[in-house]
Amino acid sequence: MKAADAMRATGTMKAAGALRAEWTKFASIRATVVLSGAAVAVSGLLAWLFGSAATRDYTEATAAERLRFDPMDPAMRGVFIVQLLVAGLGALIASSEYGSGTIAASVAAVGRRRLVAAKAGMTVLSALPVSVAAIWLMFGVSMATMASHGVPTLGAGDPAALITLLVGPLVLTSLALVGLSLGLLARGTAAAVNISTALLLLPVFATVSPGWLRNVIGVYWPNTAAFRALSADPDLPRLLGLGILAGFTAVLLGVAFARFESRDV
Amino acid sequence: MIQLSGLTKRHGDVLAVDDLTFTVRPGAVTGFLGPNGAGKTTTMRMVLGLDRPTSGTVTVNGRAYRDLPQPLRQVGALLEAQAVHPRRSARNHLRYLAQSNSLPERRVAEVLDLVGLTDAAGRGAGTFSLGMSQRLGIAAALLGDPPVLLLDEPVNGLDPEGVRWIRTLLRGLAAEGRTVLVSSHLMSEMALTADRLVVIGKGRLIAESDLDAFTESGVLVRTPDHVAFGRRLELAGARTRPGNEGELLVTGMSAPDVGRLAAAEGVTLFELAPRRTTLEEAFMELTQDSVEFGAAR
Ligand SMILES: Nc1ncnc2c1ncn2[C@@H]1O[C@H](COP(=O)(O)OP(=O)(O)OP(=O)(O)O)[C@@H](O)[C@H]1O
Ligand SMILES: [Mg+2]
Repeated sequence: MKAADAMRATGTMKAAGALRAEWTKFASIRATVVLSGAAVAVSGLLAWLFGSAATRDYTEATAAERLRFDPMDPAMRGVFIVQLLVAGLGALIASSEYGSGTIAASVAAVGRRRLVAAKAGMTVLSALPVSVAAIWLMFGVSMATMASHGVPTLGAGDPAALITLLVGPLVLTSLALVGLSLGLLARGTAAAVNISTALLLLPVFATVSPGWLRNVIGVYWPNTAAFRALSADPDLPRLLGLGILAGFTAVLLGVAFARFESRDV
Repeated sequence: MIQLSGLTKRHGDVLAVDDLTFTVRPGAVTGFLGPNGAGKTTTMRMVLGLDRPTSGTVTVNGRAYRDLPQPLRQVGALLEAQAVHPRRSARNHLRYLAQSNSLPERRVAEVLDLVGLTDAAGRGAGTFSLGMSQRLGIAAALLGDPPVLLLDEPVNGLDPEGVRWIRTLLRGLAAEGRTVLVSSHLMSEMALTADRLVVIGKGRLIAESDLDAFTESGVLVRTPDHVAFGRRLELAGARTRPGNEGELLVTGMSAPDVGRLAAAEGVTLFELAPRRTTLEEAFMELTQDSVEFGAAR
């Protein structure tokens, strides 16, 4: 009993040490810190741009079109770009160690298992606040932009907005874990970011794809499925849409860990 | 203590390490020698659990590296000195390593001081010279005050002052009872630093013994009949190998005996001198069959 407690205590201590080390690594290079700030800044900027564009469209729209207007649509349009930055943040947490070669020292210091766990923890710890800030800022700026021109908007407490504000950051954080997995698999920043960008932007081609493929990448693709689940009138059951992303993230992280565990550093 | 048993690593077609069995004991500096591509780095990476052995085992103080609870407190390693993030300061590099093994923060300042990098500690490690990077790597290895040290070519890039500093440092660490394994290409340096040598070539163990056994007394003979006389000496139980033009390096027979044999055979000698083989020569002789990337002769 006592011994088991002690074991658990040192286990916790070791996990905490590995996580603190990840934090020092994260905070002591510019790329990760700048990218975090950029993700939030870009969110605000895009929200203002899309909010202004929506204001113009709304003023010129017919009465019928105005009825179909959903203010969440312009408010969240920027997420398509911001997701790339947040996923890039996750990728960088792994890939910056490959670029510099510190991966060997890090594995030697804490072992493969604890290193991946600490990196996953660090990814959540950095991506979650960034995602909350990004999505809330996006919402606030776009709603304020539209409201100032008399375009109808939603309050944060409105159910249609609330689900995005609460679950949206989790979706983005999940994409950061996808980025982390790709960083571990690709073992380099450029490769990881290219793959993650291709993966996340593929749904853009949905409209020009043949029918069955349009469904796969336009509806069931992990990031599309999750984003669609957040809309006021989802075309997938919400839990299914979010579940697809959660499942995809878990499988990818599992694969990345298994590869990392078995191969030479 | 580091124990390797049948350690083997295959990279595709390349047998980088081939059935290595040897022990590195505490209280001594063990030099790890071998030509380029012999498998020294690969062996050290396997000790640290970075490369998975194809077969065989390696333990550090009786345990596999991956089972060490806080490895930096047990094993300090310098593999590639320049494997640091160029924009991260030396101090932060050491800080994250210290935190990862719950080492006290003051160890960072202590090892920086020990390697003489205190004044440069706030600079990005990417601005360091090769010698400064080596010092930072050594600081990282010493962080956890470990009883076992593995250093892959630590004198690479150091100035003469730095080489002397490493020598004193390693000898001091071994004198404290630590296990020190250090690879190098500089045989002359190993002659001054190591107590024991492990020599490998093409991944295989070639020799393992105390330093003294590598340098033996011999006799230098210069004669116009060096081919025939060499054969005669071998028949008489000596070992010979060719030196420069017309020279023979004879071991296993004293100079007077060589002279007597020459007189008995009527061989003209131009020169007959006792000579101690250097570690350099011993190394060349040992590894001449296993040099992979030697210059064309
Ligand atoms: N990841 C790898 N993939 C393929 N071959 C490898 C790999 N790592 C090492 N090798 C090969 O294994 C052999 C041993 O290499 P290693 O780096 O261990 O030699 P070394 O003794 O450290 O050489 P040096 O003195 O030049 O540092 C070489 O032939 C090398 O090409
Ligand atoms: Mg090497």
